[in-house]
Amino acid sequence: MPMPVGKMHSFKSLENIKNSYIERIHQVSDERKKGKKSVGTFCLFVPDEIIFAAGADRMILCGGKNDTVSIAEQYLPRNICPLVKSSFGSIVNDGCSGIKSCSHFSMVDMIVAENTCDSKKKMYELLDNYVPTYVIDLPQRPDTPEAMRYFLSELEKFRDAMEQLTGNKVTDERLKEEIRSSNETRKLLHKLYELRKRDPSPISGIEVLKILQKQYFLSPDKLKEYLRELINEVESTEPEQVHKPRIMISGCPMPGGNTKVPAIIESKGGAIVAEESCTGTRSFWDMVDENKDHMLALAERYIKIPCSCMSPNERRIDNILELAREFKVDGVVYYTLQFCHGYNIEKYKVQQALKKAGIPMLSIETDYSDSDVEQIGLRVDAFLEMIS
Amino acid sequence: MISVGIDAGSATTKAVLVKDDSSIVHSIHPTAFDFVSAAEKAYEDVLRVAGIERKDVDSVYSTGYGRNNINFANKAISEITAHAMGVYHFYSEVKGIIDIGGQDCKVIAVNDGKVTDFLMNDKCAAGTGKFLEYTARALEVPIEELGNLALASESPAGITSMCTVFAESEVISLRAKGFSKEDIAAGLVESIARRVAVMARQVGLKENVAFVGGVAKNTGIKAALEKELGISLHMVPEPQITGALGAALYGNS
Repeated sequence: MPMPVGKMHSFKSLENIKNSYIERIHQVSDERKKGKKSVGTFCLFVPDEIIFAAGADRMILCGGKNDTVSIAEQYLPRNICPLVKSSFGSIVNDGCSGIKSCSHFSMVDMIVAENTCDSKKKMYELLDNYVPTYVIDLPQRPDTPEAMRYFLSELEKFRDAMEQLTGNKVTDERLKEEIRSSNETRKLLHKLYELRKRDPSPISGIEVLKILQKQYFLSPDKLKEYLRELINEVESTEPEQVHKPRIMISGCPMPGGNTKVPAIIESKGGAIVAEESCTGTRSFWDMVDENKDHMLALAERYIKIPCSCMSPNERRIDNILELAREFKVDGVVYYTLQFCHGYNIEKYKVQQALKKAGIPMLSIETDYSDSDVEQIGLRVDAFLEMIS
Repeated sequence: MISVGIDAGSATTKAVLVKDDSSIVHSIHPTAFDFVSAAEKAYEDVLRVAGIERKDVDSVYSTGYGRNNINFANKAISEITAHAMGVYHFYSEVKGIIDIGGQDCKVIAVNDGKVTDFLMNDKCAAGTGKFLEYTARALEVPIEELGNLALASESPAGITSMCTVFAESEVISLRAKGFSKEDIAAGLVESIARRVAVMARQVGLKENVAFVGGVAKNTGIKAALEKELGISLHMVPEPQITGALGAALYGNS
């Protein structure tokens, strides 16, 4: 994998994050010995706040590694998205048979899943044979009052399930605290992204991605600590004054282990300044209203996440245009995983909207293998030459 | 000002030497296994023909699949940018380029010699020279004859598969059913034209479109593409060298 060239400097606070995986594993393992429950999640639509308010811990189980894809293919069709295959392979293989950075997959008492895309939905049915899997249903026409009512009732059921798992009551007080804590994380991420609006951006896209990949893996306290340290360091560092083409990535998530496309873009001389992605703005852009009924506030905030499983999803198009302007991007790289029908089909609408706004777009559809690195490199080269 | 462009392609390596924007010398070598030695040979060739010494060359720009391995080049640029510049040199009204090479197919929208949008086929031999190579083999005709054979057909056989491997077996089963070589050849040519035309429409190519790359030499493909797109395609004098020429001109600018 090519390394970013012309890298400004390495941030000391990012060095600390390198040890965070093993620290977190020890932390969760100790907690579990003391009787604390741990749940695995896959998606932004599952409110962290409810899990923590019930006194459980959580770790994200989205797979970004290619190694476990072939394990999953013993059970799942080849022609589905690599994220689903990688995740499933990691879990059924009980910590991936010693593959590095994989042991957390076997450290959950329950999986909290959600009905988003077809591949995940059907994969969860199989997953239940290995780990008890609770599924939150998700209305996919988000802008109706009926959808809101239904989603709220789903979240209430989920809260009851968490209470049952942990034996703790989810009190209003606890929920309030957790909402405040999560909003604080969101504000820190906003602050970090605010710094990327500088030209040139003081921090590379790969560096930001590596933190965002751990957003739902680390404990909220640890994440905030890392973010504060990093923000302080970035704020006080002068970036090199080399203008690079400013790129926004838009599309599918890039779970831990997968930095393929951003690594190519930055090794070719592009600077990623924003990601409209689950490992990007979608995860933190909107706050939860702290001044209304907590469950209702959660439902309102979470149902608005502009995932391509939603229809209509104009909110996402508007958001992409807004981000492109705010971050002054020279071009958008539309990133999709093979067989991710939602984001792949939505590409057409995004492309039309960007064209109208005069913003160039490059589309890359790929998987977790390295077989197309050269071809993607050529497209990225040509795109950067085009927008420079 | 003397500049050289090297196009290190997967099948052939091309070198072009441009002197003062006007006189152009080129050379084409099979790439074989070693990108670097093919590039060296092509480079020495153009120097010899032009009667110029290495030390008098102002810039060497590389492009093509092996562009990053050419150690004597000052800089590497993508073949997309290079083709746009190269074609623009021959045909200044150019608005679009269709480039069918051995490994891939590119469709490029151009304005004033600059790329404004482009598409490449995805990770697969559909719509490339490889598709023709494999299917011509199944038909047991030399690839150069495929186009002319196709032109002689009156009712092309339907080839439904875009996949090179499946199209090859489709050809074999059409042969078994008794279809003529001409009709199968025409079916193949139509199939690749359809595939490429979809990409051309996606990028919005409408007029002043140039056809380059090794496959552009194939008259049958050209005719089928023109029919599919409803426009006539512009041919440049040396379609195989536009990448190397573009790289040389890029270095010159």
